[in-house]
Amino acid sequence: MKAFILALLVAVGLPAIAFAQGSAAPQPGQPGPRPGTIVVQPGQPLPPNVRRLQPGDTPLAVPAKGGAQAPELLQPAKPEKFPHGDRVESKLDSKGIPASKPLALLFWAFAAATIGGALFVVTRRNLIAAVMGMVGSFLGISAIYMMLYAHFLSVVQMLVYAGAIMVLFVFVVMILNRPEDEPVAPTGRIGGVIGGLAIAYLVGRLVMILIKVRPPTGEAANLAPGPTSLGHDWGSVKAVGTDLFGPGLFPFEAISILLLVGVGGAIAIARPLHEDEPASTSGADNV
Amino acid sequence: MSDILFKVGYGHFLVLAAVLFLIGMGGVLVRRNALIILMSVELMLNAANMTLLTFARMWGDLSAHTFALIVIAVAAAEAAVGLAIVVAVFRGRRNVDVDKLTALRH
Repeated sequence: MKAFILALLVAVGLPAIAFAQGSAAPQPGQPGPRPGTIVVQPGQPLPPNVRRLQPGDTPLAVPAKGGAQAPELLQPAKPEKFPHGDRVESKLDSKGIPASKPLALLFWAFAAATIGGALFVVTRRNLIAAVMGMVGSFLGISAIYMMLYAHFLSVVQMLVYAGAIMVLFVFVVMILNRPEDEPVAPTGRIGGVIGGLAIAYLVGRLVMILIKVRPPTGEAANLAPGPTSLGHDWGSVKAVGTDLFGPGLFPFEAISILLLVGVGGAIAIARPLHEDEPASTSGADNV
Repeated sequence: MSDILFKVGYGHFLVLAAVLFLIGMGGVLVRRNALIILMSVELMLNAANMTLLTFARMWGDLSAHTFALIVIAVAAAEAAVGLAIVVAVFRGRRNVDVDKLTALRH
């Protein structure tokens, strides 16, 4: 029951992240014009490929209050529009990934849903509760993907994992329908010590590697990712598809073969054996 | 402290993925039910995917998205075959406790 509530909370929270991305207020005190804006002093001629801000445009930076002495704000002319509307307009803060406070709070909420669901999976004795915790964990993960600008992967995660794989798990749980006697294997003292040391070693190595991660510094590294070289929005279906059917074409084809073999193997393994069949069909040869 | 709370950066995503991976690893090591072990493996695959996407965001490289998509497809195939094995084992033995599956023990 708690897992249901958890999954419901995450499902309600997913539209909230889109809302928060749309309504995150821009930083008020930005010192200069943002990258992408070209500043031209009043007497200077215009560089090519640049047009003045039109009245309908959203200004990239607020002009200073100096009056006539203020430098003009110009915008590089965009070579092409996005004809199919696959560009996602995000008004994120320019300081970090989701540097605004509501987005940070949403990150913690979704991280809590992810970790809580995962703990639910590992600790519950009831299998259905474990599966429901898994669904909540996957919804949290897909929201985290959306924070990483992986819109397409987020939707795929929700469709494939929460929609397909978890349904498969529920089917198998319903077929099995046996409560566990003892969920956790009993270990002796020596085994526990060895296992604890091994886990401590693995965790220590992982932490050492994570500490060494040097994220790229500088203002440009933290900006929202711009469109790809073909003009598609970063992380959108078109951008991922262009990469998937270009450099990733061979893995894509290999995956199709793997899925075919997997389907055949699943049917072959899970098919009832000959001894399980009712006796009336085996006697058909004698007729 | 408030920096850690309110300035969510790449490290937060990496640590979240690492914690998720550790929970999945603990599930694989500790639990005895084959279904729970399969689910924990899925959790670890998701943690790896999250790390991939964080690095993709960090360096602005889209090919990690392709890789994550392929990992998802492999996970789907693995779940299908693994669940088929679980069903086959259950049909023969009436339980899916991995500690009792000792037919291949030397």
